[in-house]
Amino acid sequence: MSEQNPSQLLAESISALVDNQASELELQRILKASEQDPEVRATWARYQMVGAVLRGEQTATMATPDFAARLSAAIDAEETFTAAPVAKRSQGWMYQLGRVALVASVAGGMIIGVNQFSATQPVTEMANNTAVAPAPVDSVVSLPSGINAPINTRTVALQSGYETRPQESRRVMFQPRQNNTAVSDEEVTRYVNQMIQAHSDNAAMNSGQGVLPYARVITTDEE
Amino acid sequence: MPKFSLWLSAGILAATASSLTISSPVFAETSASNTSEANAPSVQTLLGKMSQVASRLNYRGAFTYQNQTSIELQSFRVEHWIDAGQQHDRLMSLNGQEHEIVRDGQPVDCKALGDKLLQGNFAGMGESLAKLDDLYQFEIRSQERVAGRLARVLQVIPKDPYRYAYLLSIDEDTGLVLKSWLIDENARPLERYQFISIDLNPDVSQLSRAKPGAHQHKAVVDVSRCNPTALVKPETWQIGWVPQGFALAGQRKLPNGQDMLMYTDGLTTFSIFLEPTTSFAPEGTGRRGATLAYMSRLTVKDALYRVSVVGEIPVAAAAKIAQNIAGQ
Repeated sequence: MSEQNPSQLLAESISALVDNQASELELQRILKASEQDPEVRATWARYQMVGAVLRGEQTATMATPDFAARLSAAIDAEETFTAAPVAKRSQGWMYQLGRVALVASVAGGMIIGVNQFSATQPVTEMANNTAVAPAPVDSVVSLPSGINAPINTRTVALQSGYETRPQESRRVMFQPRQNNTAVSDEEVTRYVNQMIQAHSDNAAMNSGQGVLPYARVITTDEE
Repeated sequence: MPKFSLWLSAGILAATASSLTISSPVFAETSASNTSEANAPSVQTLLGKMSQVASRLNYRGAFTYQNQTSIELQSFRVEHWIDAGQQHDRLMSLNGQEHEIVRDGQPVDCKALGDKLLQGNFAGMGESLAKLDDLYQFEIRSQERVAGRLARVLQVIPKDPYRYAYLLSIDEDTGLVLKSWLIDENARPLERYQFISIDLNPDVSQLSRAKPGAHQHKAVVDVSRCNPTALVKPETWQIGWVPQGFALAGQRKLPNGQDMLMYTDGLTTFSIFLEPTTSFAPEGTGRRGATLAYMSRLTVKDALYRVSVVGEIPVAAAAKIAQNIAGQ
């Protein structure tokens, strides 16, 4: 892979930005491209997310595609502060540094926002012991059709309590294609669990992680 | 949540605008990763080591495991040893109900397709197979200490929407994955495991003499061809589409009559299950932990079949695979 196509270049720029190592030129390129190309926005979102996870901000779901749009707007707004009466040549390193700091702090702000939200809410809810009518879970991410929303921490904590409950962990979340499907959850659960067990033979042989994929089935065996 | 985040960033924005050169403390904290260390191993070296763990290393360790459908933190002991040219594995649950999975008898010199793909070693298998580099963007990150050992963090981001992202902390000495996170297309961690202790010099004779535990399940060993030298196609089914880079690792007939086809790209696996059905079969998406099951139906010459795609793959991939299956 000696030649690089534009999208690869862009991907590297995005990677650099996520690492806070992007140059001004790269930043401009990303912002411009992200306005036009949803794929670029998605790529950015992916890098941003993994970067955040890597840095230990585990609940960093802030990397939504419209993050780019917000960042773009933020920078436009910022330009009106500095650009007005100042001579062009004074836009030296101070200016550059300011912009990078701005970008970084927008990103930082998003991360803080998400972390505080997800960390504090379940705790307060549990402390108040309010099991009734959980508030709708506000989500930055939109799920692709067909995927079940994950059980959120709050729900699970309230439902399953502290002790180990094997029944909980073998449960399959099933979303039928038609809503009027008359099928028992138990039947689907048995069918899916049996396939997951067989599939883990494949995973434990072909994913480079030894027998660890069996951790996915071991709690679900029905004896 | 979006409002909250916006509000917060607006606050920081205002602060930054008034003092342009001061970056927030968060910035300093988050920019710590240094990717260009002089003595960092190459991606190829790491993956190569990772693919050889099973045939070279004896170990006994304990790890914790958690997935998205349950907040339960589980713990397991895993043992792997080589004795008389054969590999042996044992996985025991350490909390909750007692369970044990053993896998015995895979020859040391038997390399599954996944290992070959991980090594980038598929000479002669045809040009059509994509390299891992074409499927994922790999990046070596910082070092990390896991289970008292030095590991290298490898960030693995898919280049298409048909697989998940990984964060792997790989033991620099042995290639053992000491910590792993699987992350979906919406940045949600799907599952993670992490070793807490590992012994790289266990007493093999003691391991092989251990009495079988309660609720023992014997895993099937010969699910996958040994040392494949050519790509093969399923015998009785036409699989019209799989994501780039996935190849058939094996096929078998399960005791319950299902045809099972196993695919891997080296890191990610999925399996296809097919069986004739006369009764009504539910269609839809099932999920448990990191594993997805896309269930659908197929009619071949007036006969109805139940088709399911099961694996640690996004629903977009599973649905497209299922929709492109035909009989022969």
